Amino acid sequence: MALRRFAFAFGTAFALCYAIAVGGQFALFTVFPSLGLILPGTVQSRDVADPALSFLAPAMYWYGWTATATLGALAAGVVSLAIPEVWTRWIWPGWLWAIPVAAMAACVYFTLPWFRL
Amino acid sequence: MTATVLVIVHGLVAVALLGAITHQTLATWAPARAKTGLFFARFRAVPPVSFANAVIVLYLVAALLGAIVYLDFRVDVRPQLERDHHFAALGLFDLKEHFISIGLGLLPAYWVAWHRPLAQDLGGWRAALTAIFAFIVWWSFLMGHVLNNILGFGS
Repeated sequence: MALRRFAFAFGTAFALCYAIAVGGQFALFTVFPSLGLILPGTVQSRDVADPALSFLAPAMYWYGWTATATLGALAAGVVSLAIPEVWTRWIWPGWLWAIPVAAMAACVYFTLPWFRL
Repeated sequence: MTATVLVIVHGLVAVALLGAITHQTLATWAPARAKTGLFFARFRAVPPVSFANAVIVLYLVAALLGAIVYLDFRVDVRPQLERDHHFAALGLFDLKEHFISIGLGLLPAYWVAWHRPLAQDLGGWRAALTAIFAFIVWWSFLMGHVLNNILGFGS
């Protein structure tokens, strides 16, 4: 039962944290593949290269967003183990699928600028 | 060259994953009551639980290979797509990466939901999670395919 609670809390929190990380640009780290660099936090290309040459140092945030969501989900999973089981009965079980679906919808919203170019 | 080989392996793993999750989804949502000679009925007559571990392993392998190839994509491929104004395709591909991450987070819950012996009270969650995974896998497969086709093999 504890494993079930942890897994369900982890999945729900991961989706929520991932959407927040993407929307708020909260990457745990930024990868610059052409430079072979990994810098902590969200770092823009213009911060590591001359703005005129920033296209030579593309930044990748996906790994950092996923790491941020993993940390948040782990925290939520651990907290879920400490919550008395009586309390969990008040939580709607549908959150397990509703929050990931909502997070996916939020990601669609965050991606809309690509379609306006 | 290495990236091309990895993309091909990534694609092959994705095909296997696509087959497994599609079998499982149809067998979960529209189970066939009896095996008949019809292809579609036989396709749905499989025990869905037998695909769960394969889906998890294939999903992880596909995601790992994708995460490795993504580095080459960002440096060598995406700038060309931006230069050629394939912005909508890049947006659809961005959605692929987001959906895959959300799927990664759901894998433990998926594993618990499909763990033998199947818990009777998790039937709804099993169905919902399987449907979400089916959507993610189909979306990722199609968008990866579309993007790969824009530039073509070895370009």
